[in-house]
Amino acid sequence: MNILLCCSAGMSTSLLVQRMEEAARERGMQGRIWAVSAEEVMNNLDQAEVVLLGPQVRYKLPQLKKEGEAKGIPVDVISPLDYGTLNGKNVLEFALRLANK
Amino acid sequence: MGGFISFLERRVMPVAGRVAEQKHLQAIRDGIILVMPLLIIGSLFLIIGFLPIPGYDEFMANTFGDQWRTKLLYPVNATFDIMALIVGFGVAYRLAEKYKVDPLSAGAIAVAAFLLATPNWIMFTPEGATAATQIDGVIPRTLMGSQGLFVSMLIAVLSTEIYRKIIQKNIVFRMPDGVPPAVSRSFVALIPAFVILLATWLLRILIENTSFESIHNIVSTVLAAPLNALGGTLIGGIVAVLVVHILWAVGIHGAAIVDGVLGAVWLTLMDQNRVVFQQNPAAELPNIITKQFFDMWIYAGGSGATLALVILMLLRARSQQMKSTGRLSIGPGLFNINEPVIFGMPIVMNPLLIIPFILCPFVLVIISYFAMSWGLVAKPSGVSVPWTTPPIISGYLATGGKISGSILQIVNIFISLLIYYPFFRLWDKQKWLEEQGNLTAQNVGKDSTAQM
Repeated sequence: MNILLCCSAGMSTSLLVQRMEEAARERGMQGRIWAVSAEEVMNNLDQAEVVLLGPQVRYKLPQLKKEGEAKGIPVDVISPLDYGTLNGKNVLEFALRLANK
Repeated sequence: MGGFISFLERRVMPVAGRVAEQKHLQAIRDGIILVMPLLIIGSLFLIIGFLPIPGYDEFMANTFGDQWRTKLLYPVNATFDIMALIVGFGVAYRLAEKYKVDPLSAGAIAVAAFLLATPNWIMFTPEGATAATQIDGVIPRTLMGSQGLFVSMLIAVLSTEIYRKIIQKNIVFRMPDGVPPAVSRSFVALIPAFVILLATWLLRILIENTSFESIHNIVSTVLAAPLNALGGTLIGGIVAVLVVHILWAVGIHGAAIVDGVLGAVWLTLMDQNRVVFQQNPAAELPNIITKQFFDMWIYAGGSGATLALVILMLLRARSQQMKSTGRLSIGPGLFNINEPVIFGMPIVMNPLLIIPFILCPFVLVIISYFAMSWGLVAKPSGVSVPWTTPPIISGYLATGGKISGSILQIVNIFISLLIYYPFFRLWDKQKWLEEQGNLTAQNVGKDSTAQM
């Protein structure tokens, strides 16, 4: 499962990536979780199976949702509480739920 | 206060979203990002060139010869002084990418059009001569740097718009079947490039016959001067931080949006300081409000100057939630990343904490501005320090090695502590009471089961 995260500079999401990778290892999951900045997200879209946005760039949701869904990639915004507490486990589960939908 | 937040959510957020999604502003912001690594490397040489150590200049001159500084500053000229070229290419590239047309061709055409719009001569006064002579066949370096920034961005946006319109209307040379696709693709740019360069050429000839003489002179009179005056004043700085923090209050990355609008202005102001500093590090620098002013002195710990708040959480929190948020936030906070605080505490949509979150940077802008304009603290020297550099170090570097830059950062963190403290206490107490409440409720629950 390839999960792409996006925030303004790709900095704070990369903190969350570490937590999510831990959670993914515990579940024995394969795949890649990575974070990019808002201007790079389009170049990374094709490699992702699900795209999650940091709440601070949620204004990008309409545009990315359109681009993503044309390719069958679900796109959504991470809950601010999980984002702030860097809850990798919750965000990972959120990503899995989105991908199964 | 709740009404204020729902007003922001309903009214401000959609507008902010539209500004953030505006294609040309986005392309300008992303194009500027292309030059940032170069400026940081140039800054490194700038810092080494002007280390404020007694006897340093003599030592360097004795070791490497009289020309040591000139030679050391070669990379500065190759980074700062070509930023208009690089940004122009970057803006055209990113804009073309958004229109899904070939970005490399668009970038190349924009650079050519920019050079075509720029005079290819300079006026030079030889030693001993009384009048300046015109030297032909040169690219004026002054116009390739920050002075040419607005012209180059404007040309990049306009030329890419023309480029994509022509491509999208499918007015291109069509090669017969059997011609390799790589060859026929290079012919696609031919017609749009011709139209753009022809238009630029006609425009230049036209303007040469007026008193303006060049496109650069028009743009600096009409656009750059008023923008710089607006973005470079105390009022401009205050408005900018207010907008950034009101947007953050509803959980939107305000700095990214305001940078799109004012980034080029702050970059120009910063480079004006760099040029003066490079001539003479002891000279009075022209600008206070620059990119560094905000990054180094206002945003310690991230937007809202939240480093102080994180320190309070670590040292004074009673509630478990604030203690753990503090531990989680201090690492990223030292590098000015504060999403864990903004969303974890949370500050977003929080009527209590939004007050110090907006008040604190507002107060810091005023204090820092006057500290610099009264000469108590050195102004930002135009040295480009990455915004992730921890405070105290960053203030020293951004002033070109003045200890007063670090001292102001310490003072600002202390002021932020004072502003945040009462609000932090209230919030922490509330969280603590909630946790106690939960505990008692659980205990009561246990007791009652035990009795049964």
